[in-house]
Amino acid sequence: MNELRDYENLNPDDFKLVQKEDKIYDKKFETKPIGYFKDALIRFRKNKTNMVATSILFFLIACSILIPAFSTKNVTAIEEQLSFLPPRIPLIEKLGIYNGTKEYVGQIIDLDTIDPVTGIGYPEGFPAEAIVEGTLENYTEACTLKDERCAGGETVLRLDPNALYVQVESNESFVFVPENSPILKVNVQSVDQGAKLNIYVTPVFGDELVKVATITEAGEYSINIYDVVPEAFVNTKVVFELKAANNEVTVALTSVSLSDSSQAEPLVHVEGYELSKYEISGGAGLYVRQNGEFLLTRFVIDEYAVAFAEKLERFFPSSEYDQILADFADVCIQEPDPDNSEGWLFGEGCPITKVEKKIAGIKVAGIDYSQYRLYLDYAVYNGYDEVPFFLFGTSDAGRDVFTLIWVALRTSLLIGFTVAFINIAIGVVFGSISGYYGGLVDLLMQRFAEVLGRIPWLVTLSIFIALLGPGITTLIFILIVNGWIGIAATTRTQFYRYKGREYVLASRTLGAKDSRLIFRHILPNGIGTIITASVLTIPYVIFTESTISYLGYGIGHGQTFRVFGVEFSGVSIGVLLSDGRTELLNNPHLVLFPAIIISVLMITFNMFGNALRDAFNPALRGSE
Amino acid sequence: MTKYIIVRTVWVFIILITILSLNFTILKLAPAFPPTTEEARDIYYAKQVSDGYMTIELIESSADISDIRSGEVEICDGCYSVDRGGDIIRMYKPVPLANQYFSWVKNIVTRWDWGLSTRVQTNVPVFDLLKARIPVTLRLNLVALIFYIPAGFGLGIVAALWKDSWLDNLISFIVMVFISVPSFVVMTLLVMYLGFRWEILPTQWLASDQAFSLVWKGYIIPVLGLSFGAIAGLTRFTRAELTEVLTSEFLLLARTKGLKRSQAVVRHAMRNSMVPLVPTIIFSFVGLLSGSVIVEQIYGIPGTGRLFIQALTIGSLDYNMLLASTAFYTTIGLFAVLLVDLSYGIVDPRIRMGARK
Repeated sequence: MNELRDYENLNPDDFKLVQKEDKIYDKKFETKPIGYFKDALIRFRKNKTNMVATSILFFLIACSILIPAFSTKNVTAIEEQLSFLPPRIPLIEKLGIYNGTKEYVGQIIDLDTIDPVTGIGYPEGFPAEAIVEGTLENYTEACTLKDERCAGGETVLRLDPNALYVQVESNESFVFVPENSPILKVNVQSVDQGAKLNIYVTPVFGDELVKVATITEAGEYSINIYDVVPEAFVNTKVVFELKAANNEVTVALTSVSLSDSSQAEPLVHVEGYELSKYEISGGAGLYVRQNGEFLLTRFVIDEYAVAFAEKLERFFPSSEYDQILADFADVCIQEPDPDNSEGWLFGEGCPITKVEKKIAGIKVAGIDYSQYRLYLDYAVYNGYDEVPFFLFGTSDAGRDVFTLIWVALRTSLLIGFTVAFINIAIGVVFGSISGYYGGLVDLLMQRFAEVLGRIPWLVTLSIFIALLGPGITTLIFILIVNGWIGIAATTRTQFYRYKGREYVLASRTLGAKDSRLIFRHILPNGIGTIITASVLTIPYVIFTESTISYLGYGIGHGQTFRVFGVEFSGVSIGVLLSDGRTELLNNPHLVLFPAIIISVLMITFNMFGNALRDAFNPALRGSE
Repeated sequence: MTKYIIVRTVWVFIILITILSLNFTILKLAPAFPPTTEEARDIYYAKQVSDGYMTIELIESSADISDIRSGEVEICDGCYSVDRGGDIIRMYKPVPLANQYFSWVKNIVTRWDWGLSTRVQTNVPVFDLLKARIPVTLRLNLVALIFYIPAGFGLGIVAALWKDSWLDNLISFIVMVFISVPSFVVMTLLVMYLGFRWEILPTQWLASDQAFSLVWKGYIIPVLGLSFGAIAGLTRFTRAELTEVLTSEFLLLARTKGLKRSQAVVRHAMRNSMVPLVPTIIFSFVGLLSGSVIVEQIYGIPGTGRLFIQALTIGSLDYNMLLASTAFYTTIGLFAVLLVDLSYGIVDPRIRMGARK
């Protein structure tokens, strides 16, 4: 209420009229006028979501220019040793993700490395020291393979339907010595109802099989052969025969062994894989394994430790050897190797740690061509002081995916902008002529554009591939053939809209030529709509380019092209995705990161284009 | 109206013939890739002669034969000579391109003969190969159509009815993502996660001779990959149409007369906003069809798109196959255009296409 009361005693001196004496005929505005573009800019700024999208878009574009220029990582050479490294990102690696490790499951165990105390064996083909501590586990998996590593289980003899019998014969000869009272032990896990398992012995040089036992039930059987067949068989094979009245019966054998009184251990003991090696010698049936156990390992390995470990080079060319010695002259000081008289050692910091021997070569024109057998320190050899971070991992050729993505994005953007520029140029000119002159010209040009626009991309693709083969030229042609038609249509509509306006008529009456009417009066008025239509063609072009490159008809590895002195790689995002396609299971990072980048690029580009359209043309907001 | 239909139909045929002729002529100018084995090549060239693309000439004079064998006489461009020793050389010479073109048209029009495949499946009529693949592609696309129409409609209607709510914003964001992300990226990510990582769906197309309980699972990933873009387009369009109708005067009138909002929306707004959607759906089917080329390639679906890609193997192009499969896609595309043009008049009687003022 106090404030209100103050109004009652206002000081009249505080107030004075703006214009008391001077008359205003023509005076400049004190504030700046807001033009068409400025108005659009204000509207554009108001939309916060789109501002964020636009910032991300420009950040991506900036990255694609800066990162390839400053990155020291390899994106062109093939580094076999570094292929398929998983992503490793500083800071985040402490959380346990993207720390350069990869989990392997189901790797075959190296039977020689099984520790007698813990019983844990190391996998075959992986350096034991790179395995992350505490992650190594052994486990077994059911198997039915006839393989040495598949242990235990039973072997099943199955009689075919319609067959009368099936026989398998042992591989080894059982040696019976009558004095030691030999006993043949057969462990039968199961016998089907109605099936009969006959066991025969056969003299090696004999002809007739001699039946020693008939088994109809599961159990462990001990057969004293001399009790059954008094005639002595010194050296025989054992034959198992499965017979049944009703068809398709099985019998499962666990083990066969022979023991005698001469020693406690059995003389012959056959089970698991060995037992499954017996071959069918007669009749018809199958002889397969069941319930075997395959010993496998599961572990997490530090791929970076593997890649940058000391590496044995069996045939290292002397030219490269000399080059390294020259490059690292200050640290590569040769020392004798106390353990190896043929070789020598190098000190700390030298890419070559140890030379085992020099392999004699040949001398051509006074130059010695020889080879060395040596060990390389791979990190130093590749020019890294310490183990590097490959943020997004490496590709099959050992290239850094992080840098590669930006290199590829740069190419994609370049193609996008170039093609969009060409399309806009053609479209604006075509649309202007068609829209300005109208009539028969318009009709014919529209019909031409319609025919061209109706050509499916499959047709253009096949035509250009057949004529020119894949490559950057083909790609640009395919994108141009009917890419300009949309812009031409927009331009034509704009011309129809403005060409009948009074100011155009006035200018024409004053004698303005067609070119002046087009470029001074009509085009500038319609430019906002044309710009927005054009901006939206850029993401469309990138989209199509990546699709064509993905199919393998665009650009690819090994191609380069120069624009204004800057060399661009032939790798685009589509190419990267195509590369990763075969590695979805083992190396998902090859697909994941390019997919994220292209998705973000497309989304932000479309949002930017839409925001621009809304800003220039508020009436269209929300549609399309 | 009749005149309009006739004009449009004739025009569509003109475009179709132009595109096919252009395709034929240009592909004939490109280097040829005849079959690789000698036996297949003999059949191929014999067929070329009987189809009227080439003529055969027997070279019997010993002077000419020795000239050719010694390499003194250049074999003409595009010619093919069969020299099996003895005193005869068979020389196949191409006829002029214009004649080849008329033979090609004649073969198709009179005998429906699209030629033999040269590389995909040597010496099998290409139309037979294509015919065997069409059902797979059409089935996949129809399933995608059945899936995406309700999805797109639903999202669009929800977005329009609850305009400017958080739901609408969420839907517009989803639409933006669906439109922006290329279908091959979607497919690859779906295969990677649903197929390889979580192992709930097959990573490849399943042959249709397997049990239905398995086969339908193979449809999920390609249908999703195909329809994301289409869903986004339809959602956007439905939303725009319905928003416009919802603000129109006749709806206000309906409400003023005492209809409930739901009644007004369902009986008046929906019906009227559906009209322009019919052409959109027809067009989107064409979009799906040509988009399915890449989906078929990624998921290993034995459809027409895969056949096209096979025929377009670099260094081993199969022109007859390319011509037939592109003709298939072009025809479907153009007849969809025709259908759209005609449907404008049928679904919405207010539009009198081609009528004089």
